[in-house]
Amino acid sequence: MNVSDLSAPPRGRGLLIPLLLALLVFVGLPAMLAGFDRGYFYQIANLALIFILLSASMHLVTGVAGLLHLGHAAFYGVGAYTAALLSTKFGLGFTVTLPLSGVVAALIAFLVALPTMRLVSIYFAVATLAIGQMLYLVMLNWVEFTKGPNGIIVTKGLELFGFSLSGRLATYYTVATVVALCVLAIGRLSHSYYGNALRSIREDDQCADAMGVSTARLKMEAFTMSAFFAGVAGSLWAHMTGYISPGDFKFSESILILAMVVVGGLGSLPGAVIGALLLILLPEGLRAFGDFRNIMVGLVMFLSILLLPKGLLGEVSALQLARRQLGAAWRNTVKGEGIGWR
Amino acid sequence: MTALKTASLAALMTAALAGTALTTGTALAADTVKIGYQLPLTGETAQYGQDFRKAAEIALTEFNASGKPFKAEIVFEDSRSDAKEGTNIARKFVDDKEIVGVLGDFTSGVSMASAQVYKDAGMPQLSQTASHPDYTKISKYQFRNIATQAQEGPYNAKWMLSKGYKNIAVIAEQTDWGQSVVSGFSDGVKANGGTVVFSEFFNRGLKDYRSLISKLERAKPDAIYTGFFYEDGAQFLRQVQQLGIKTPVYSTSAAYSPKLIELAGEAAEGVHLTSNFLPTDPAPHIQHFVTEWKAASNGAVPGQFPAQAYDAVRIMLAAVEKAYPNPTREKVRDALAQTKDFAGVTGKTSFSADREAEKELVKVEVKGGAFVPVAD
Repeated sequence: MNVSDLSAPPRGRGLLIPLLLALLVFVGLPAMLAGFDRGYFYQIANLALIFILLSASMHLVTGVAGLLHLGHAAFYGVGAYTAALLSTKFGLGFTVTLPLSGVVAALIAFLVALPTMRLVSIYFAVATLAIGQMLYLVMLNWVEFTKGPNGIIVTKGLELFGFSLSGRLATYYTVATVVALCVLAIGRLSHSYYGNALRSIREDDQCADAMGVSTARLKMEAFTMSAFFAGVAGSLWAHMTGYISPGDFKFSESILILAMVVVGGLGSLPGAVIGALLLILLPEGLRAFGDFRNIMVGLVMFLSILLLPKGLLGEVSALQLARRQLGAAWRNTVKGEGIGWR
Repeated sequence: MTALKTASLAALMTAALAGTALTTGTALAADTVKIGYQLPLTGETAQYGQDFRKAAEIALTEFNASGKPFKAEIVFEDSRSDAKEGTNIARKFVDDKEIVGVLGDFTSGVSMASAQVYKDAGMPQLSQTASHPDYTKISKYQFRNIATQAQEGPYNAKWMLSKGYKNIAVIAEQTDWGQSVVSGFSDGVKANGGTVVFSEFFNRGLKDYRSLISKLERAKPDAIYTGFFYEDGAQFLRQVQQLGIKTPVYSTSAAYSPKLIELAGEAAEGVHLTSNFLPTDPAPHIQHFVTEWKAASNGAVPGQFPAQAYDAVRIMLAAVEKAYPNPTREKVRDALAQTKDFAGVTGKTSFSADREAEKELVKVEVKGGAFVPVAD
């Protein structure tokens, strides 16, 4: 990406797009869902939201910081298992398990990141692959603690300080609120001075190091924060479905999330959201085609990578959009030259 | 963003949404009753789901040709053995007011995730294979048409002890089912005065069992009891033969498939296992199913799982018939719960008060490349 692409002065601090998006998510969609009144649509909407969060959190590491992460689903699993175990063993509700799931996932990510963060490129990818497998095998084989392949039935649904939120619309609003807040936070992280520092690691980590950017620390922070959001997604999934087992968090899920980020556009947050929507909605929408639907999903992914290698909504256009519409912290010099996020 | 991108994006999203809308809400004639069947038609376990669909179609064709007052229809949905997809399908089935009962899923994990939806909606669910001990405990709507390991394990333990094997090694796949194989069997062995000298789990799809086998042999067992499906079983048996080990091998009904012998060849000779389905049984209803199955699958002989699926579909259809006219989900559930001595191809089936299938088991040995029933 060329820096000059970003130097055009912003045309406005329009709040139009975020406002429209919020309207869509919190008014338009729920109205439609209530209108159709089908549990199936609610389910798909919630599932899509959870995967938006997963793909957005991976975007931070893989898209912005440019570190190929092959074990993301494991942190999603850590979050889900934290929520499930806290709620079945200690009777804690969703209000408590939601943040704790994120914290535990982040803590584990921090610990495994300590020795691995100095690795670069493919070595880092293989290390995350190993981390993912390790965590998966712990979920599968530590039967006394995690109940292993038997999985855990989570009887407590969604609630806020004791008020049950398990109705269809309430569940949707809870999931949507949590996901929207997390995506907003990820947006602020990636469209900022901080995000630029992460991008500098991706573009040339040695150069960034020489310029005084602490690459190892930044990588570790991005990795840990990304795990936090994945853990939050895990908690949502555990309380929403009511039953989790290690199979939900295996390697193929990491690849699914990675595919969402890549198809949507590496480095682009709106891309990650669109990628998640596409790869959740498309297989469901194609159910009518029976056994061929997976082939069709594969074909769509193949064609989108072939024809739009930068993703459905690539990084440059995504950044321009973010800057124009959401660029609250964007600063210009007196001459009107953009100098970036502060 | 270029126009091409906008256009392609918009097209994709509309296609996805339109598809979602299209596949729901089709009206049917009044004298048709719909049943849902969620099963893996693609993915790693597709071979099982494809077999279930074939078996279900045989059962359905027969039912509709037998002059009943109504026609039945089965809606098949592919879950890929994925809990996400399983719960999506469950919601979809629940939304369809015409669906009065659901069959499936294949794995316990997906069956149990979906069961959370069926529990709240009051939809009867009958799985042909879900063997997790807690599955039927989820609610009064969960049924299964498979003997659990709590039933099969002690049966096999007594069988092996009566043959004079006192020290037994147990291995099983690392799944919820494998867990129940080991616990069910070990309890049976201990209760009847034997000893389990070794027990370990392996991950499904393991290619190299040699280290496991040599570790197991160090415990010097009189016999080996195994919990695997035919793919893993064939690998295991071949490697036991390659290592020149003569310790007798016993297994569960899950390994009972002609494909076990096909894949393991000579190495399968002498394996003992239990089953509740014998394709060689001369009873006319069993021979009828075997003939139909052969016609639909290039002459291949059906294994245990398709037979269970065939029976599960027929049990469900019988319950719907009992609830007819105006079958509701609640009426179908009650009719299912009353199922008593249903004469299926997997023996007589009754549901106990906790909705477990009570099945008769048959002892079988592999002799001369075929499963042969044995007295003891």
